[in-house]
Amino acid sequence: MSKRIFQHPAESQTGKRYWRSLGQLQDTPEFRTWMHREFPQGASELEGNEVSRRGFLQFMGASVALAGLSLSACRRPLKNLVPFTKAVEWSVPGKALFFTSVMPSRNGGLPLVVTTFDGRPTKIEGNPLHPVNQGTTDVWAQSSILDLYDPQRSKGVLAHGKASDYKAFDVELDSLLKAAGDGAGLAFLADGSHSPTRERLRQEILRKFPKAKWASYEANGHELEVAAAALAFGEGSEVVQRLDRADILVTVDRDILGVEGDIAAIRGFAARRKVDGPKTKMNRLYVVENRYTLTGGMSDHRLRLAASRSGAFLKALAKEVAKLSGDQALASLAANLKVADTKFKDKWVEECAADLVANKGKALVLAGRKQPVAVQALAFALNASLGGLGKTLEVRKSTVAPAASIAALAEELRKGATKALFILGGNPVFNAPSDVHWAEAQAKASVVVHLSIEQNETSAKSHWHLPAAHYLEQWEDSLASDGSYVVGQPVIMPLYSGINANELLAKVAGIAADALELVRETFIKVTGAQGDASASWAKTLKSGFAEGSKAKAINASLRTEALAKAMVESAPLRLADNDFELVFITDSKVDDGRYANNGWLQELPDPITKLTWDNAALMSPAAGKKLGVDTGDVVRISVGEKSVDIAALILPGHADDSISVAVGYGRTEVGSIGRSVGVDVFPLMTSSESRFRTGVSVSKTGKRHALAVTQEHGALEGRGADLTRQATAAEWTENAANPNFFKKMGIDAHAPENFSLYTHPPLNDVHAWGMAVDLNSCIGCAACMTACQAENNIPIVGKEQVINGREMHWMRTDRYFASEGGDEDEPEMVSQPMMCQQCENAPCETVCPVNATVHSEDGLNVMAYNRCIGTRYCANNCPFKVRRFNFFDYNQRSITNLYRWNLISEKGTPDTIQMQKNPNVTVRMRGVMEKCTFCVQRIQEAKIAAKVVAKDSGEQPRVPADTFTSACAQVCPTDAIVFGDLRNPQSRLAKLKEDQRGYRLLEYLNTENRVWYLARIRNPNPKMPDASRAGSASKGGHGHGHDGGHGNASSETGGHA
Amino acid sequence: MANIFPRWSNWLPLKIVFCLLVLGGGVSAGVWYYLNPEYMRVGYQPAQPVPFSHKIHAGQLNMDCRYCHSFVETSAYSNIPTTQVCMNCHSQIQRENPKLEPVRESWKTGKPIEWVQIHKTPEHVYFHHSVHVNRGVSCVSCHGKVNEMDVVYHAESHSMAWCLSCHNNPSEFLRPVSEVTNLDWKPEAGKSQHEIGAALVEQWHVNPPVKNCAGCHR
Repeated sequence: MSKRIFQHPAESQTGKRYWRSLGQLQDTPEFRTWMHREFPQGASELEGNEVSRRGFLQFMGASVALAGLSLSACRRPLKNLVPFTKAVEWSVPGKALFFTSVMPSRNGGLPLVVTTFDGRPTKIEGNPLHPVNQGTTDVWAQSSILDLYDPQRSKGVLAHGKASDYKAFDVELDSLLKAAGDGAGLAFLADGSHSPTRERLRQEILRKFPKAKWASYEANGHELEVAAAALAFGEGSEVVQRLDRADILVTVDRDILGVEGDIAAIRGFAARRKVDGPKTKMNRLYVVENRYTLTGGMSDHRLRLAASRSGAFLKALAKEVAKLSGDQALASLAANLKVADTKFKDKWVEECAADLVANKGKALVLAGRKQPVAVQALAFALNASLGGLGKTLEVRKSTVAPAASIAALAEELRKGATKALFILGGNPVFNAPSDVHWAEAQAKASVVVHLSIEQNETSAKSHWHLPAAHYLEQWEDSLASDGSYVVGQPVIMPLYSGINANELLAKVAGIAADALELVRETFIKVTGAQGDASASWAKTLKSGFAEGSKAKAINASLRTEALAKAMVESAPLRLADNDFELVFITDSKVDDGRYANNGWLQELPDPITKLTWDNAALMSPAAGKKLGVDTGDVVRISVGEKSVDIAALILPGHADDSISVAVGYGRTEVGSIGRSVGVDVFPLMTSSESRFRTGVSVSKTGKRHALAVTQEHGALEGRGADLTRQATAAEWTENAANPNFFKKMGIDAHAPENFSLYTHPPLNDVHAWGMAVDLNSCIGCAACMTACQAENNIPIVGKEQVINGREMHWMRTDRYFASEGGDEDEPEMVSQPMMCQQCENAPCETVCPVNATVHSEDGLNVMAYNRCIGTRYCANNCPFKVRRFNFFDYNQRSITNLYRWNLISEKGTPDTIQMQKNPNVTVRMRGVMEKCTFCVQRIQEAKIAAKVVAKDSGEQPRVPADTFTSACAQVCPTDAIVFGDLRNPQSRLAKLKEDQRGYRLLEYLNTENRVWYLARIRNPNPKMPDASRAGSASKGGHGHGHDGGHGNASSETGGHA
Repeated sequence: MANIFPRWSNWLPLKIVFCLLVLGGGVSAGVWYYLNPEYMRVGYQPAQPVPFSHKIHAGQLNMDCRYCHSFVETSAYSNIPTTQVCMNCHSQIQRENPKLEPVRESWKTGKPIEWVQIHKTPEHVYFHHSVHVNRGVSCVSCHGKVNEMDVVYHAESHSMAWCLSCHNNPSEFLRPVSEVTNLDWKPEAGKSQHEIGAALVEQWHVNPPVKNCAGCHR
């Protein structure tokens, strides 16, 4: 037997390398510190601004003295049990109740099932019956439960900034409406909504006040896409991208799998990435974008290109497609698009076009939703030419009635004739384009009424502020993205007397009906139900949506003439040469600023940059060099007379002549979580240039700003290529017969067979819990992290603590860049969810001096918090760095008061935040270790249910296959995470585990993980110029090159002996 | 030169050590005895807002436990009955009884009765009633002979060692599921508890969490 390798060999500096950050690539001292320590330097030490040693002793003395005092008064605390007076229907103390509901969003309502305990909602899941999301949700839906309980929500009516009430408001409203006449003085500005009830009330109001103005505004909306669809297919039409039908996908400046898509699109894409074997036909994704997005991370071919050059790229692509397919109409359209021809990698465009033409009817080209109308219309024309209409690109009647733009409304307001302006949701003072000068325009209205869930910048400039009900507090309805009618059921009474927009509109329309009656009336109209409709209403509430209400696709044809005209008239796009463009990106967390006070979202690392509690100017390493700045250097970005100062963040894979900044940060009128977080870049945005601005000058200011970036946290020494494995479809086909192809990559190809010096007690339960993560369909969206946070009562720790590496997320999504020879400019990107691997031979267990972490018979590595004394040995011995330590009492102290604790300082959690906590999970205290439990509370509940069912029947109690799942698996929009019972041959997991792509992390450590990863397969087009780079398996990364032949480990063990 | 330390000081260190040992031992013994759930909890018998007698209801009238604690078979918690449940009978029986005044008051005003909690599991323990009563663990095993109590008191210690004494030896406690709420049940003649219990453990595949901390601590 060859000698054991106990030391992980140094990573080779040649060949393909996987890296998390530029720091790792350049092997900076800072990075080495992160890597060598489980917790970073200083994480476990007191710092200057914390309690000094002297102060600590004083407090200790005081607490001993107080303990003496209080002992004398030591009595058993009296606790009361308070039952209901009358039993409440369905309510069983201790049992969860589930209600269907819907989360409104600008992409259409997201159908939900809300978990409630004793009348308080604690967790949100997708509605498994609804075809759009099939039980899955996203980051925003998961964290919206925290918004409900936000103690800094708007709590009452304000009149001119002073507390008032609805009575006073009704009096004012009455006098306004009496004087309104034909409504010429009335104006409404609504946020993006798909609510049929709101639409119905709008029509009622317009009937009563025919001259009232109605506008709508969403800072990150898609009005331009709507305009382009209207241009291409006629007024009132909207497009639906059918990613599930597309074999070839080209996205140009469109993050369809991230912030510019919805779950239906993500699921459609992922459906084509589920592979059984090399013979499964995968889709192919070409991505053209200025910065790395989730879509770019999933790409098979990626071209980094400034957003302002997207039009030129589409023009070149359309020309090439026209040439190949002989489509004269398309050729002339493309030729007429007023954009300067730009040189691209010709081969790239040619081969991409050839691939599209070869897959007519199965190809889909997507342009950015905020690209100019002519550019988007050209993309529609391209799809029509490729035979995609009605197949990959469906057209349907728009589900949202058109409304005026905010700019048009501002013009109207400036005329000064507006008596009353109603702002329904939104925050236009903060996020309207700067050239609209909204605050100024709004001030011209005699009375401004603002309905909002929080007191924001707009409330501060309004005469009346009304608290809005959270969507879980009041009856609402919405259309899902497939156009089906979904009812939003309240699951709790309004906490702070909020009303929703429908109730306010009903007041204006003079309809005396409450929110429920309003929705029911719409329901009857939409479904055409007869009589009192109570049967179909009850059925709809149960399933969550009205069956058969899905919108139907229409037969649309391209309006070629209108398009031709639009191309000619299109405003010339300015191109930046030797200059920077500034791209406004939708933030994956705070959106347009609306979620700024949500701590879960602020602390969630951005899926790409891993930045928390901030926004930053993203730029490429080359741009950074050119400007002389590094991550954390503050740069001044100026356009025209306006400028903002913002920290730079160097991001590999970014276009060199482009700088991206997320909007929505830098809120001023907001709760304590979101105040002064990041920098507001809305002042630089204009209504005609809402996506990008050219002619931007950027300069270094010399100042520094600390960014809380988690990308180096939890880094594992040179193991990127070991941890995330991938291969191309061609490589897989070649090795289809080799069961070890993926299992023996990297160091595992060299390590001799494992043997163990230790034995452990048999894991002989009837269940064996495990997990599989399909890296081929994981897009890295981090919904799992938020779901885990909501399910497992994970606290937030604040920016300073994140910088110190003390974030508490039980799972993280590791984002790796990979490139040959450490190329920083055009690396590939891979995301990998990482949680406790539930090792059967768990290294953490052997070092715990108090047996606080031990193994259960069903294979879980369990934590007994009450035993933990906080030595942190377990974390030090964890090869995956997945253990988290409560350095402070994060659940008892607010994040601003962590250091200022003493015996008399404020302690405790606001009542409403306590209401969110999952009652089945311990809220951990300071000084204990915690980690992913595989949602043990759900496991135990399922096991108990199985035992109760078995009762005295004599049957072996066994949880039926796939009847419950962990929070991360349940939320996953792509079903990439599968949790289940390895011992049950019927379970999905048992099958996935046998997949050829399945491998376990660091197998050579013999930890016998219970988590399997399924290797990623890329599907590059062999004819493409960059095909050789895309996603190939890591070869020869450890000093001696095997060319692909990692099959036979046993014969190749000599390498490092 | 005179001795600096007097003679008696020779024994001082030993005396100090002895005293410390006695003191330490005393404190340990005190903590051991007095801070033990056996001492702290057993016998706790607070006054309840309504002088409800389990002895009358469960003993004399032989009412089933589940008439009032209706969700014990489905939920983790054994619920305290609503005022409505009391009034099911007491709107007819004992309508004028002054002891029932708080109940009638609660029914009239809608304000719930605030019962005093006796059995309290610590917050890091997740006890589940339904899995126990559905698998042959009787109410009496944890709550004592409630049907003989006028005022309910804490009968067992509910310490972790006490829990484990059953989890390790379920055969000493299990009984047929039909007899779970029969607090006076005795093993049928000629059979010992152990024989019956061992047969049930075998037959039902009883396998309570013993080394699995997560069974109760999550």
